Amino acid sequence: MTLNTVHHESDLLVIGGGIAGLMTAIRAAELGLKVIVADKSNVRYSGAGATGNDHFQCYIPEYHGDDFNAWIEEFQTGQQATIRDIKFIRTWLSRSFEIVKLWDAWGIPMKYDGRWEFAGHGMPGDMLNHLHYAGKHQKRILENEARRRGAVIINRVMCVDLLKEGERVCGAVGISTRDDAVHVFRAGGVALGTGSAIRLYPGCTPSCLFNARLCPNCVGDGRAMAFRAGADMASLEIPVFRCGPVYFARAGKATWGGVLRDPQGTPVGPFVTRPDNRYGDPVVDVYQDIFMDYRDSARGPVYMDCTGLDREGVEYMTHWLENEGNCGILDFFKKEGLDIGSTPVEFRSYDRELSPRGGILYDENARTSLKGLYAAGDEFFGGISCAAVFGWVAGESAAQDIKALGNRPEASEPESLTLELLRAIRGRERDTRHATWQEANCAIQQIMGDYAGIPRSENMLKAGADNLERIARRARATLAAGNPHELARCAEVLNLLEVGALILHAARERRETRAKHIRKDFPFTNPHLNKLLVLRRENGETQVEWRAVRKR
Amino acid sequence: MPPVIHADLCKKCCRCAEACQSDVFYGSIPGTVPAVTYPDECWHCNACVMECPAGAVELRIPMNLEPMYQERR
Repeated sequence: MTLNTVHHESDLLVIGGGIAGLMTAIRAAELGLKVIVADKSNVRYSGAGATGNDHFQCYIPEYHGDDFNAWIEEFQTGQQATIRDIKFIRTWLSRSFEIVKLWDAWGIPMKYDGRWEFAGHGMPGDMLNHLHYAGKHQKRILENEARRRGAVIINRVMCVDLLKEGERVCGAVGISTRDDAVHVFRAGGVALGTGSAIRLYPGCTPSCLFNARLCPNCVGDGRAMAFRAGADMASLEIPVFRCGPVYFARAGKATWGGVLRDPQGTPVGPFVTRPDNRYGDPVVDVYQDIFMDYRDSARGPVYMDCTGLDREGVEYMTHWLENEGNCGILDFFKKEGLDIGSTPVEFRSYDRELSPRGGILYDENARTSLKGLYAAGDEFFGGISCAAVFGWVAGESAAQDIKALGNRPEASEPESLTLELLRAIRGRERDTRHATWQEANCAIQQIMGDYAGIPRSENMLKAGADNLERIARRARATLAAGNPHELARCAEVLNLLEVGALILHAARERRETRAKHIRKDFPFTNPHLNKLLVLRRENGETQVEWRAVRKR
Repeated sequence: MPPVIHADLCKKCCRCAEACQSDVFYGSIPGTVPAVTYPDECWHCNACVMECPAGAVELRIPMNLEPMYQERR
């Protein structure tokens, strides 16, 4: 199989045109860089913000008060206490209002009924810091802003490896998902905004790989590329899971204004007893195992029950569910002839669908540990606003660094082992002697769910690492792709294998229990390990470093 | 799982196929009714429905993804 090669040149290559990537492109282009955005989907609807979001974490002085320091102090000690450096948190939140105002000016409605509307993700009595906004058309608007500033958008090209000249990242190679072509990008720097690694763990309906709480096309592409290039990765061992409707996996619990109740109608938590759109029901934010505990103690199932919201309240909630891209479930109830305001919807934890807390380690300037490489988006917590702010910051850092570069070195022949492997995969017959990407993806999910789920132990993690390595060898030797679309899915599988192996490595290193990283063989939290666990590849080996986090 | 295309309403513009982040409509050719080539890769994000100028696309939630609910008490 011959793959034609297409060459591209720019100052900055942005890989992944989600919220973070488009914000990077917009900012870098308006600061004078020639920008190319490569997206394996279509930037208009790619990523976790595809058809909307409705919560933007931010600090707005006229709402929260002028004392940013006092506010951030409360933020740091509240539920949002994080594993991130204080400089990072300060940059994120001090610049969040700037982005809110920009988005509003660009046409993303950030106000509701003429006011800043804060609701959800909070306890009654707590400071609220999630701004409700109408994000249904956010991607189209951001795409237009990027194009207006001259950014070139190349859809349906999946980058698979970063290129380096010496220690500096200077581009990437990718494959077209629609035709048999290789794309070589040369640039002064690269910004990664490829999101989390969603299809790594089994979802609540394992037969449907794409039924995921967040974007199932985000599979850790950037993490795998960055790690292979030698970048620092952090906090991969801390798993996160969330809850939502049973079987129809969808993020956004905080948009539901109901009370979580048992089958008899008794609230399962102590915080709210009547539906309140301002708070929803925050019990699961502090008691994530509640659904399993109720099921296992004969008290379940648990329902999100909006009964009691008045008509206006139901319309208010529906407005935000629509803006968050939750139309599928709304349409389902509509077609069933059911009123979502008076039909208790069964909820569960997506307790097998884990995603790592961290990813590519980037600093308060969105710089990674590699020269010329920037990252933003769903690499850590923070959702949309963290993606938007650090996407913007990445554009500024890239502009500053790339303008300061002298003449770029003559480009050498691109080297990519991944590309060579993909050529071999595309060259194989797509017959029953060979493996499909689906069987490999399912094998990965089985291993990650069974050996690196919750709880964990050295024996299981070690066996999981060995098992995953065998599957990786099998995948490299037997995967076949019948067309460019399947080839891209095979490339995703290779990335999932890379990120899965990293998680297993990190989970074995953290010999303690912390958050949902529950080690049965180390069932305590070790105060000396209140640090970032950083992994990087050096000379083909995975190196481990514990790094202190400054919280004050 | 699958987007459903109502061929009688479809304008054959393939905007749905361009919009889809999963490329569920892989191989569709503008000027013809889009093909739902990879229905298993649908995320139910609704982009195809939003993008269709003719209201010709709807999503069908397959049985194994149906949300569960409690009949009215």
